[in-house]
Amino acid sequence: MKDPIRSFLAQHIKGRTIQDDDDIFALGLVSSLFTMQLVLFLEQEFDFEVSGDDLDIANFRTVNAMAALAERSVSAGQGPAEEFSSR
Amino acid sequence: MPIVTVALSKPLPSGLAPELRSRLFFVSPQILDFSLVEAAGRIEAVILTTADDAAPDLADKVRRVVAADIARQKVFKSKVVWRSEAGGGSADTLSSQGDLFESLVSAGVAYEAGEGQVGFGEPLIGLMHYFDRRITQIALAMPNAQEFQYPTLLPTSVLDAFGYFGSFPHFAMFVTRLHNDIDVYESFRADYAEHGRIPETLFSHCGNHDYCLPPTMCYHTYHQLRDTTLPADRVVTAKGKSFRFEAKYYRGMERLWDFTIREIVFLGSRESVVERRDAFMRSTFALMDEFGLCGFGEVANDPFFVTQDTAGKILNQRMMELKYELRLFVDSARTIAAGSFNFHENFFGESFRIRHPDEAAITTGCVGIGLERLVYAFLCQYGLDKSKWPDSVRTGVAANGF
Repeated sequence: MKDPIRSFLAQHIKGRTIQDDDDIFALGLVSSLFTMQLVLFLEQEFDFEVSGDDLDIANFRTVNAMAALAERSVSAGQGPAEEFSSR
Repeated sequence: MPIVTVALSKPLPSGLAPELRSRLFFVSPQILDFSLVEAAGRIEAVILTTADDAAPDLADKVRRVVAADIARQKVFKSKVVWRSEAGGGSADTLSSQGDLFESLVSAGVAYEAGEGQVGFGEPLIGLMHYFDRRITQIALAMPNAQEFQYPTLLPTSVLDAFGYFGSFPHFAMFVTRLHNDIDVYESFRADYAEHGRIPETLFSHCGNHDYCLPPTMCYHTYHQLRDTTLPADRVVTAKGKSFRFEAKYYRGMERLWDFTIREIVFLGSRESVVERRDAFMRSTFALMDEFGLCGFGEVANDPFFVTQDTAGKILNQRMMELKYELRLFVDSARTIAAGSFNFHENFFGESFRIRHPDEAAITTGCVGIGLERLVYAFLCQYGLDKSKWPDSVRTGVAANGF
């Protein structure tokens, strides 16, 4: 799951190399307004909906955290977003 | 009155009802009232009570706002960061004061001067002075803090500098005047004499829109410090009249078009601004406990309206916890936001070119306390009889000369 996340981030951090546990917000690599793009990317790429308690910035700070969120949500069988989703 | 039912092509989760309700009166002045049709946790339709001459495209307008502002939003759970000692943050034990605003009007201590405009006397003035003084003391105890008195008018270019009209076009209130040209004065006077009243063509005589009414005080501060370098972290506080067009949402003293804000602006490094914003928030919550007020603090968002990316901005504010609100009970079930505690990152530093000595844009944060709302919530909880007020408030108001 990490490869597509790394690829997506690479398009937005202007050639900077990051480790999977680097906090992309704390390092100033992206603005906080990038959060929505991250949420939409994960939902579309892994076909689940981010909702409820998962709407926590801690889930989006690092490649590891995003992959863990996607893995947790997909394996929990959380289906595709419902009709009112952000897609 | 005609009723128009607007079925939503895609139902919305009921969790977005507050966001939808807060925008419907801005869709059109022809909407006189509305209700939501909800079933199984979804909003399926909006029922509008409309003016007799309602335009046929009203349903389309509602759907446009739903699509632009609501449909893409996520439903956030309430994240409470503080609960008052009084009632443990719940209003179960609150004694009802009935409709307090009506009582204030009956007692002759408040009156409705116009839509969203209220005048008031004692004991509200004494409470307002005392609460404001205590909040100002918190601000002025911070290092490098200074108080300012700002003019009421704000250059429209200030709001323009950071895209206010792109995010909150619905709140803006402009100030104009007859254009200063002898031809205009003469033609206006001729129109006025002909009609015996302000003519419908008034605005054809008013070309100027250089000034507006300030939606809040901190914009004055960024304007004041525009194009400067700050050698050290700063705190600026100001109290002033603030204005937001609230359409039909105005209500007693709970939601005004014309109100008073005590604002505290933090400018400097990211660490200091966040630390001061958080410290101020803790001090405010402690003050609410001292005043015996029942309420809570929670993560919040701004009411962006028909912007390019309302859902993204709200998601950002909520997930990064850029905004908290102090909510106080006005009856056993309803709260009003009496204050907000905000962090703006370097948005205003960039927009107004306020810089650190190394040229990097400063970061800012602010706290805004709605003084009428604070006073009103207090009176909703304790009533007009001073003997029933908490000792600290009664003695504090008296010591303040009221």
